Amino acid sequence: MEPGPIAIFFAAIFTSNILLVNFLGMCSFLSISRELKASVGLGLAVTFVLTTTSLIAYLLNQYVLVPLEMEHLRYIVFIVVIAAFVQLVEIVIERISPVLYVNLGIFLPLITVNCAILGSLLFLVIREYDLWQSLAFGAGSGLGWMLAIVALAGIRQRMKYSKVPAALEGPGIALIITGLMSLAFVGFSGMIPIQ
Amino acid sequence: MITSLAIQVGVVAAIGALLAALIELADRFIANYGECRITINDEEERSLNVQGGGHLLGALAENKLFIPSACGGRGSCGLCKVKVLEGGGPLLPTEAPYLSATERKNNVRLSCQVKVRNNLRIEIPQELFAIKRYAGRAGKIIDQTHDMKQLDIELTEPETLDFKAGQYVQLTAPEYAKSDQPIYRAYSICSDPTDESTISLLIRRVPDGICTTWVFDYLKVGDQVELNGPHGEFCLQPTAREILFIAGGSGLAPIRSMLFQMRNEKIDRKATFYFGAQTSDDLCYLEQMAQFERDLPQFKFVPALSMPRDEDRWEGAQGLITDVLDAGEHEFAQAEAYLCGSPGMIDACIKVLLTHGMPQERIFYDKFA
Amino acid sequence: MGKPGAGTIMLNGLWRENPIFRQILGICSALAVTNLLVNTVTLCAGMVAVTALSSGTVSLLRNVTPRRVRMMVQVLIIASYVILVDLVLKAYLPEISKALGPYVGLIITNCIIMGRAEAFAGSNRVLPSMLDGLASGLGYSLVLVCVAVVRELLGFGTIWNVALMPEDFTRWTLMVMAPGAFFMLGIFIWIARGLFPSKAEATGS
Repeated sequence: MEPGPIAIFFAAIFTSNILLVNFLGMCSFLSISRELKASVGLGLAVTFVLTTTSLIAYLLNQYVLVPLEMEHLRYIVFIVVIAAFVQLVEIVIERISPVLYVNLGIFLPLITVNCAILGSLLFLVIREYDLWQSLAFGAGSGLGWMLAIVALAGIRQRMKYSKVPAALEGPGIALIITGLMSLAFVGFSGMIPIQ
Repeated sequence: MITSLAIQVGVVAAIGALLAALIELADRFIANYGECRITINDEEERSLNVQGGGHLLGALAENKLFIPSACGGRGSCGLCKVKVLEGGGPLLPTEAPYLSATERKNNVRLSCQVKVRNNLRIEIPQELFAIKRYAGRAGKIIDQTHDMKQLDIELTEPETLDFKAGQYVQLTAPEYAKSDQPIYRAYSICSDPTDESTISLLIRRVPDGICTTWVFDYLKVGDQVELNGPHGEFCLQPTAREILFIAGGSGLAPIRSMLFQMRNEKIDRKATFYFGAQTSDDLCYLEQMAQFERDLPQFKFVPALSMPRDEDRWEGAQGLITDVLDAGEHEFAQAEAYLCGSPGMIDACIKVLLTHGMPQERIFYDKFA
Repeated sequence: MGKPGAGTIMLNGLWRENPIFRQILGICSALAVTNLLVNTVTLCAGMVAVTALSSGTVSLLRNVTPRRVRMMVQVLIIASYVILVDLVLKAYLPEISKALGPYVGLIITNCIIMGRAEAFAGSNRVLPSMLDGLASGLGYSLVLVCVAVVRELLGFGTIWNVALMPEDFTRWTLMVMAPGAFFMLGIFIWIARGLFPSKAEATGS
């Protein structure tokens, strides 16, 4: 029985969170999560880009790559599309809304090389989702990633007042906290099984 | 097989070309902000007309106005502050970490992050207009250690540069194989301040540095070089207190300049220079420091090696610079300190100085971002 | 003087500037496959090949690449090599290739490769650049293999699918799951930084 779009949406946020379960998007996750405000901005940017590119990836895969038997070139096509799309969005946002640009636009260049985007697109193609499932998965993955980074940023802000062993400061302790968060999310597993 | 391969390559190329065209169009029609006017200090003759779309730092540099910046506009040093009174838009998260609450209230911004999209009204300290651009020729380029070179620059236009010991200049790395635009990097002057026609810089190789790569691998004796300056407030204070100089690596440069100044002006103060290095390969100017010790009766040079090897036959101070400093016999509470080097070393040494009771306001430092 | 020698490049990549310990780069997706050593070693081999080859190629093209499209060109070079690795795996190790799933493709967005291409290959000759890529890739593999050994041993009681633990050993299921990977890596960084504090923090150089 195939899970429907709604199930996939919630599964992508909770049971198979792309960061806490699939380790996608760790680089920017560790560096940006020092600042709560920036984390929210980056999280929103990731959610937006993921939702839109999942649609583009689905269409490209369905109507271009599969008919031409070019599935093995998927990586190249996807990465080019992501990079170009992000650049376009940045240019447009900067023009139409300065407010949006400050809160979201300046994070866009960081996204091009964020594995969360490419990873999710590859997942949805490999799992052969249909259009609605793809959209739900893209949106859910983005929100799940945002949930994780905002939660970590919140914790790290409090960490400033804690005594952490010197060698563990920064990334080390951030990883341990992420592990604990991941542990909590394991509690959701089994509710909705998607791979 | 061949046809299918051709089709595949064609499709990828077509997708790429389509997207490239889209970006090009967007660049031309959406991101075109036309000509913007930057009003400086409300003085008409100082105002500029620039092509919008870039960052303020670059726009000003194109018009020969050099805001000091150590990182070259990557938003990692926080030096390129200017007051943007109108048209700068809201504060960006990328600059927030570098600005204090007071600065934010006074509309201080990082000029490398503010974009020129409309007319701007900004305020720049008057002394920045005194900063001049200099052209010169690369004179001697001497290897001081395995990763540090002394670069002598013979000034040609203007022919002299008047600076205070401890100040730095910004060297321009021109367009070369690695970069398609000139960039600026800050280097402290290490030569004698009375020699105004030739200045020397001590440059340490940064593995991926655009500027250091140019100096180490491309620059030849006789080449044209450009710089602007002098910048900085890291100078000897006119007091009679005991001095602690602390440096690592190319942080030696401004201290060397200050020692020349002390010799020239016969400043006979008690002074100790702690220099941190890993092995004896990282030491330089030993002869000269010995000469300074002879010329300045109360000056002592204390090089410390953190990892001396057997072949170093090292008999001097050993250990981390912080520990050597910690063990030093000084009236810390009465002395003043001058530190130059990497942020990590400086922060660690400041901690040591503070625990020994040196007041914060008598600790002067120049951090290499 | 000037150019770093081969030994220095290798030492830097493996230990002094180990991408994971020192620069916290590229931990991304590769963690996901560290619950079985076989998968980890396979992915790392691919990773090392891609890093070395793309660093070499970026260096080869460094003087003819216009700066504006530099990022794009680098991504394309990397993606091409990843596709090659992917095809090789599919052909010779179909089982493992299936298990790795999309993670092979994610080598593309691994910050290490981009980082080295930017930092080193863009300004050095072909051979040193390849060495540098190789060293960074190996340094990265070193850490992942350590994590994988511990996770597989505690999680499955095996190493390289060979049972090593006594019959009555209780498996630490947690180690096989995602949290185990985060904990292990956090602890590894802790140990590495505790035993060998970065010299930069020490001598100020």
